[in-house]
Amino acid sequence: MIAESFVKSATKPSLESLNRLLALLAGVALLVVGLLFPLVTMLIKSLQDRAGDFIGLANFAHYFQTPALVNSIANSLRVALMTTGVVVGLAFLCAYGITRTCMPGKRLFRMLAILPILAPSLLPAISLVYLFGNQGFLRDLLAGQSVYGPIGIVMGMSFWIFPHALMLLTTALTNSDARLYEAAEALGTPKWRTFLTITLPGVRYGLISCLFVVFTLAITDFGVPKIIGGQFSVLATDVYRQVVGQQNFQMGAVVSVILLLPAVLSFIVDRWIQRRQVAQLSARAVPWQPSPSPLRDWIFTLLCYAVAGAIVLVIGTAVYASLVQFWPYNLSITFEHYTFQGMADGGWGAWFNSLKLAFSVALVGTLVIFFNAWLIEKSEGFRPLRQGLHFMAMLPMAVPGMVLGLAYIFFFNQAGNPFNWLYGTLTILVLNTLVHFYTVCHLTSVTALKQLDPEFEAVGASLKVPFWTTFCRVTLPVSLPAVLDISVYLFVNAMTTVSAVVFLYNSDTRLASVAVLHLDEAGYFASAAAMAVLIFLTSLVVKLLHTALTHVLLNNAQRWRHAC
Amino acid sequence: MHTTMTSLLAADTPTVMTPTTPHLTIEAVTKRFGSFTALDGISLTINEGEFVCFLGPSGCGKTTLLRTIAGLTQQTTGTLIQRDKDISTLPTQARDFGIVFQSYALFPNLTVFNNVAYGLRNRRVERSRIQARVGELLALVNLTGSENKYPAALSGGQQQRVALARALATEPGLLLLDEPLSALDARVRGHLRSQIKALQARLGVTTIMVTHDQEEALTMADRIVVMNHGVIEQVGTPAEIYHQPASAFVASFIGSMNFLEVTAQGDNQALLGTMPCACLSHTLKVGQAAQLAIRPEAVALSRQAGALNGEVIGIEFLGPFQRVTLRLTDVDQTLIADVPSRDSTDLNLYQGQVLGIHLPAEAARLYPAGSSQQ
Ligand SMILES: Nc1ncnc2c1ncn2[C@@H]1O[C@H](COP(=O)(O)OP(=O)(O)OP(=O)(O)O)[C@@H](O)[C@H]1O
Ligand SMILES: [Mg+2]
Repeated sequence: MIAESFVKSATKPSLESLNRLLALLAGVALLVVGLLFPLVTMLIKSLQDRAGDFIGLANFAHYFQTPALVNSIANSLRVALMTTGVVVGLAFLCAYGITRTCMPGKRLFRMLAILPILAPSLLPAISLVYLFGNQGFLRDLLAGQSVYGPIGIVMGMSFWIFPHALMLLTTALTNSDARLYEAAEALGTPKWRTFLTITLPGVRYGLISCLFVVFTLAITDFGVPKIIGGQFSVLATDVYRQVVGQQNFQMGAVVSVILLLPAVLSFIVDRWIQRRQVAQLSARAVPWQPSPSPLRDWIFTLLCYAVAGAIVLVIGTAVYASLVQFWPYNLSITFEHYTFQGMADGGWGAWFNSLKLAFSVALVGTLVIFFNAWLIEKSEGFRPLRQGLHFMAMLPMAVPGMVLGLAYIFFFNQAGNPFNWLYGTLTILVLNTLVHFYTVCHLTSVTALKQLDPEFEAVGASLKVPFWTTFCRVTLPVSLPAVLDISVYLFVNAMTTVSAVVFLYNSDTRLASVAVLHLDEAGYFASAAAMAVLIFLTSLVVKLLHTALTHVLLNNAQRWRHAC
Repeated sequence: MHTTMTSLLAADTPTVMTPTTPHLTIEAVTKRFGSFTALDGISLTINEGEFVCFLGPSGCGKTTLLRTIAGLTQQTTGTLIQRDKDISTLPTQARDFGIVFQSYALFPNLTVFNNVAYGLRNRRVERSRIQARVGELLALVNLTGSENKYPAALSGGQQQRVALARALATEPGLLLLDEPLSALDARVRGHLRSQIKALQARLGVTTIMVTHDQEEALTMADRIVVMNHGVIEQVGTPAEIYHQPASAFVASFIGSMNFLEVTAQGDNQALLGTMPCACLSHTLKVGQAAQLAIRPEAVALSRQAGALNGEVIGIEFLGPFQRVTLRLTDVDQTLIADVPSRDSTDLNLYQGQVLGIHLPAEAARLYPAGSSQQ
């Protein structure tokens, strides 16, 4: 789509601004087709009956009169709130340990704490079944409570959401001003008052933002409740059940609209906070350095490594489960489960599909998103278009995966839609995944671009160099670290996501994460664990390659960064 | 400061101007940002080969005017004509100029060579010719041998010169400089000032430089355009701007200036309190409140009491001269006089001393009251 603008050579200068316009329009078109139209179609569907006639809010009325469905709202809120409490509490303590104490092994802890991001959210759910299920070796710890239900859901969600919260809070706690603490100390303020009057207010925006992010992730998650929820239904599993189980698309749309509300609310709060936070930063702040305090440092070391231990235990359990012949009766080690006999068309095909998807999204998505961000940030003119594109780039954050996936069915599966041919192809999965994870990449790009000298483009223009040359020769190379971050983020998410794509694959394009779901549904628990581990390992390898590549680039290829 | 300035001005022998052809004509250019008017009806002609400075306080619209000339900002109304060609609506790429920004905007990932060659590459010039041209340019800015360094490894002054070489590489007809020296420390700045000026004179390239440093403008420019609040206050040679300021704003912005509250009288006259003083001819109405502007170095002091007297209330030693603050005896106003060090021994200055003051008519100008503040 973007490539079009590169093909035409610019002999006349007016062509250049025409190209810019075309590229902007292409960016807008991408998000209109990939986000706005599907969402609007879904909203319309929620107001129609099965025959497609407009019936106003009748579907919603029906929804609220069906106790089995309405119950899910309370259920979802309950597990989301509990997860938020657990995750934000733990993450705050751990982030505090990393930033404000002299605990040893910070780097190792941060590495371990990030691991859950590399796994699909189905993985912790599977592990928890092995740990606390009917045959689980730790089930006594639950004191008779069943892991199938809210307890399991909260534990599973906490596992995979924890790294997100930890990163947000670490950032918030890093921005401290030493001068405030020195002033407090000089005035003889007790430690607990310093904490209440300086530390907490300093991170309040980061903390509020984190609360909302975690809450949204929890209330919209599909993988964990699907695997370990048992009879306990939540909104995200309701969408799935209505659509895939009962083929009731209208009710699916209604639940989606309800699921959209908390996400949109949290999105608005987050935007509001971001705007406020800017004013708070002071350019002259002096970073605060912790000084050793043995007791405090040891307490935080124990705490952080207890958390890291739990993470390693969950991942280790999944690995172990995938290697054991037949849990718990035959504990001999085998690779048999990695042949995925439970799947008619073989599991490795699904893995390969996922790999194709992840590489495509990483490549296409990075270029498209970064280029669009560049158009928004570094163009003169076309203001309404640029603002519109920026707004649409922020929207995907407010759209849960389940909602986006269902919206795609409604829009692309319509008879007479010119994009109908996309349905069931790998391309629609690429488009969907790209849009699903657009916002974070967009924000990363914008941040990186804002750090560049605003006059690069002007210099290029004054030297009569076409804008795409300056983009390729200067902007892209200088922003390479951010670009690599974006691509690995997209790769990992494409590899692990299940919520949106679960509606969009067909037999040729089945993905590894969907295969985990199906293997689990069919009772092949060990194979499900094996597939989840396979996804985890793939992400891990790519992440390690990315780290190595970034290291090499910054040290050799980008010598100019520390030129002397 | 003003002594340095007067001596610089004296040294500045007016360059012999060939019959002038206009290079750039700006006609009634206005730029609005929403309801804010950044440029208000700017008209100006810049001649071929001339070095012009835009001078004015922060926010007066200098950068906006420069960017308008470059096509980086589109004017709301008005026309721009470069070498008889209407460029008002041309995009940046189609205009003929080179530009150096305050930040230099050197490409950090490219070597000095590639930075300078950036605009040449695009023109499908052969490699050997690019190499020769870059070598020539680097020699011009005294940077031969730095071809393979990255910008981060250069000092501020060196980076500035690379940016200059890059802007000159494509042989533009017009060179635009936006505060090119303001990011440098004072010593480098002084050195580069003369280097840039010499380079410009040698190449004969028409140059516009934006600055808010009056000393820079006075030493470098053939002509200075003094701006304030989006309008041009005065256009003139450095000597004209300094000695014949067209408005109270220009008078106060450049060099030091005394402003005495007076009442305008008939031609060449004003009343300071009840005392008449002579001044240059003016157009103010009789009885109108006015201010009489006179430079401190023009004020003459003597030990003999005269028609106008003042009591010394402050003496500052400033090297080549002493700055004396006086309170006028009959009217409650203060006046500053700069006394060259060798005269001050004759005066035998001390606090509380009452001196006679002479305000030479040929150095005293009248402006309407309340117009001097920026
Ligand atoms: N893009 C813009 N949008 C709104 N206002 C602007 C914009 N660019 C400049 N201005 C305003 O126009 C006025 C003139 O700005 P300009 O940058 O030309 O000033 P300047 O004379 O170069 O000042 P300085 O010496 O500080 O660089 C300022 O008040 C500025 O706030
Ligand atoms: Mg400026």
